[in-house]
Amino acid sequence: MALKGLDIFKLSPKKNCKECGCPTCMAFCMKVAQGALPLDKCPYFAPDAVAKLSEATAPPMKTIEFGTGSNAHKLGGETVLFRHEKTLVSKNLFAVKLCSCMAPEEIDSKIAQMQKVDYERIGERMFVEVLFCSYVGNGADKYVELVKKAVAAGRAIVLECWDVEAAKAALAVCKDTKPILDGCTLENWEAMNALAQEAGVTLGLYAGNLSDLYDLVKKLEGAGNKNLVLDVTGKTAKETLANAVLVRRTALKDGDRSFGYPSIVNLTGFAKGNAGLQTAYAAMFTEKYGSIVVMDGMSYAQALPLYGLRQNIFTDPQKPMKVEAKIYPLNGADENSVCALTVDFALTYFLVSGEMERSNCPVNLLIADASGMSVLTAWAAGKFSASTIKKFFDENDINNKVKSRTLIIPGKVAVMKGEIQEKLPGWRVVVGPLEAVQLPKFLKDKEYMAGAEEEVAAPAPVVEEAPVEEDKPLDFESIKLKVPPIEVVDMGVHYKGYNPEAKTFVTIGERIHCISPSIRKAMDERDPGPILKRAAEQIAAGATYLDVNIGPAEKDGPERMMWAVQLLQQNFDNVPLALDTANKKAIEAGIKVYNRTNGKPIVNSADAGSRIENIDLAAANDAIVIALCSADGIAKDNEERMMHCHNMLERGLSLGMEATDLWFDPLFLVVKGMQDKQMDVLNAIKLFADEGLKSTGGLSNNSNGAPKTLRPIMDATLVAMAMMQGLTSAIVNPCDLRLMETIKTCDIIKNHVLYSDSYLEL
Amino acid sequence: MSFVPKTQAFSGKINSVTLGTGDKAVVLGGQNTLPFHTFDAPTENAPKIGVEISDLASEWIAPALQEFYAGCQTMADYARRAETMPGADFLTLHFESADPNGRNRSVEECVADAKAVAEVVSMPIAIMGCKNVEKDGQLFAKIAEALQGKNIVVLSAREEDYKAVGASVALAYGQKVGAESADDINLAKQLNIMLKGLGVAPTSIVMNVGTAAVGYGYEYVASTLDRIRAAALAQSDADLQMPIIAPTSTDTWGVKESVMSEEDMPEWGNQEERGVQMEIATAAANLTGGADAVVMRHPAAVAAIKQFITELV
Repeated sequence: MALKGLDIFKLSPKKNCKECGCPTCMAFCMKVAQGALPLDKCPYFAPDAVAKLSEATAPPMKTIEFGTGSNAHKLGGETVLFRHEKTLVSKNLFAVKLCSCMAPEEIDSKIAQMQKVDYERIGERMFVEVLFCSYVGNGADKYVELVKKAVAAGRAIVLECWDVEAAKAALAVCKDTKPILDGCTLENWEAMNALAQEAGVTLGLYAGNLSDLYDLVKKLEGAGNKNLVLDVTGKTAKETLANAVLVRRTALKDGDRSFGYPSIVNLTGFAKGNAGLQTAYAAMFTEKYGSIVVMDGMSYAQALPLYGLRQNIFTDPQKPMKVEAKIYPLNGADENSVCALTVDFALTYFLVSGEMERSNCPVNLLIADASGMSVLTAWAAGKFSASTIKKFFDENDINNKVKSRTLIIPGKVAVMKGEIQEKLPGWRVVVGPLEAVQLPKFLKDKEYMAGAEEEVAAPAPVVEEAPVEEDKPLDFESIKLKVPPIEVVDMGVHYKGYNPEAKTFVTIGERIHCISPSIRKAMDERDPGPILKRAAEQIAAGATYLDVNIGPAEKDGPERMMWAVQLLQQNFDNVPLALDTANKKAIEAGIKVYNRTNGKPIVNSADAGSRIENIDLAAANDAIVIALCSADGIAKDNEERMMHCHNMLERGLSLGMEATDLWFDPLFLVVKGMQDKQMDVLNAIKLFADEGLKSTGGLSNNSNGAPKTLRPIMDATLVAMAMMQGLTSAIVNPCDLRLMETIKTCDIIKNHVLYSDSYLEL
Repeated sequence: MSFVPKTQAFSGKINSVTLGTGDKAVVLGGQNTLPFHTFDAPTENAPKIGVEISDLASEWIAPALQEFYAGCQTMADYARRAETMPGADFLTLHFESADPNGRNRSVEECVADAKAVAEVVSMPIAIMGCKNVEKDGQLFAKIAEALQGKNIVVLSAREEDYKAVGASVALAYGQKVGAESADDINLAKQLNIMLKGLGVAPTSIVMNVGTAAVGYGYEYVASTLDRIRAAALAQSDADLQMPIIAPTSTDTWGVKESVMSEEDMPEWGNQEERGVQMEIATAAANLTGGADAVVMRHPAAVAAIKQFITELV
């Protein structure tokens, strides 16, 4: 339950002492409400106010920890009912049931069976995490023997035991493993609670119906114990599903924290001895709110689908699932089989490897680290480039592990062929198909062999290339010499000028981007024509800044950027520019030749993760920086967005930047796909504005994938809503008339520009 | 203060779509709650199981599956046997071999098979094609024509061919049509709008909104199902209130867990058992997410899922 700043303010000391660094108590409370500052930054809150606030800000469902060491697990802590709403945080655990009614040999064989299932899938160890030790009243001695065996098996333990004496005896031999004591009922709760408190373990509650269970929780909470789990197992599957759903829904949807605890679901009663039925129920309770799912056993046949499902369901929807970067030999491939390369995005891997397996042709599938992005996204972000591929080859010792020297690269990055060829001497680089479905034909027909005879692979160079100028300062004078002379052509378009002090909305034209083939070619060939044409169109349409994306530009970034900057500024009255590339040296070089008449250069972009150093770059060069409020993947909520925002702000300020030179980008989402999160982004803009910060963002992502006819109205509406929230700039297509007219009109209504009948033409 | 559960029956409701005719006809959909949420409101129609019969069924290698269909020669033989499978509600004829890049069986041969099946069975029939848009288009029109009056459902009309398939299957021959999209809720909605735009009645449309075996990007399937049901029920979005048929067996019997032999993966154990459990887990996940019918293959998996459904509604 999010608290409003004013609610916190009511309980605050109201002394405006400024010790917390905020000008007023009100300002402090606003920050606490946003999660920007912790409450304990203020020493003057009364203890009862702190208690009240921490109760009110407590998550709707508790996180319960049990087990120790490699068997330590977290349960619960969920905030949503469905993964698409945000993410599910604690995967359910699978348990195998042991019973004091079993003969010792049976227990041993169950444990041995259970231990057989232990493997890795996409970076996660898959095994039975929990042993569920059930007591049936046949003597505490037998139970202790059982529990001892369970402890020796080295898994986390749940004691299912209603008998206080037996529970006491069992705890004596296992309490150091921090088990869950699942046996507290309305009848025995006082004794069981004392036992659990004394041993310092989590208590599991059980009652015959939800109403009694609710009363039982209240009794324990009243006795001061909130270290609880709820055994929601009913007599039938139907009743158990009802319990599991109602308990979770009551906590998360209705905000009643009394049911805000993890659950235990035991399938072994109502699906006794039926492995198939247990698999079906276990799949359902993986999706529907079982925290620990107890089964009679776990065979490989059951584990493979169940753990796969669990891994999928508990994947963070905002963080793509990655597979390990390495060689995957498919269809019995050996060192002589052809190699094919792609990125580590799990879906790409599954699609590509699936199609390759269908072909039945042996292939060494090489998965390179690309931060879990798809091929084109990774390429555009500089995460899948000739250098990263070279690094992958070196780190994995591919040249020695594989004898084949034919490398198929994804058709979508055909443009990298030459660069890869250069970085991987001795390899014959072949461009593969554009889509995975075309792979079987491509492989079966050995299309990659075409031209192999003529193309003699370049011999490996004797001497290793000198390492690329990583930390060496740039020699600008010598780079300058490589830049072709700039020709100034009068295209009849003049830049109108820009006053950085004005409040008018800043548009950054996005049309000079290397993802467009014609621009890419023009950049490669230093051909001014296509670049000047797009610049002129955007300036005529009223763009304030122009973005210059030169691609990853690993090789010749500095001279490329110097050329582009001078070309554009000399032709268009020193139009201000946003320098857009993953190559930092290129940005630095561009700034060296940049003319500041119409405003500082913009560094596009930094983030709170691997690209945070671009803030340092902007600070060192007195530039503006676009600061993406994300680290790896899209932020999952505004708390995370603001955390990134404040991290970057702090870094910039500590390096002497003005706060207004960091333009925060909340990252607009694609409506066709993430429609339910766009309002979060708009609310983040309001949070920036409330703190007096500037903001920007790639607006057109909003309408990505929508028909051309819809994009203008979608983007125009979004910009109007975002400007209402306080957006100060956007990266846009200035040639979109509807959008530009909307922006101008918003500037009028916001009183940033004085109205005249001709305001649209200005 | 004692606990009183809040129920959550919605005003939005999934359409009821009837397949087949006579005693064996089945109704898909009809509920106004999330799947198996009988504590919110009773489930009007239990989810159904469609047993898959492929024209390549003779190549299925699972021993118990072979035994079940022992002696079957023609598709009609297989279909008649499938009708006796405990748990079967309808039959799904899968014309895999029509694929021009595969066996390229002719449309005439496939239609003859479909007709022969329809003559000997009384359960409703669903048709699945070979995924080749052009060939499926011809095949679906001819089968829909040949089986007129049987009230079959043809899976599927896609973005590329919804016009042709919708016009022939639903409008010309009065059959039901499945709208197929792949983990894309916006396209799922758009396809239904476009089919309705052609004049297809909403109660003649079912959906296949994308499938995967569990472990293989199933999170996209799960979230698509969750979001579609949320839109259909909580937002009363009439363009997403069509019942969902989830082809399950075609995915699950093709993944590594089901196709690797025991010799290659000794620690994994019996190959058939792996295929069965994979089919069960995926079908259960599909039903939990919102599928109103699943297409399944193996008798042991069908039996488990039938019991699962019976216990839960």
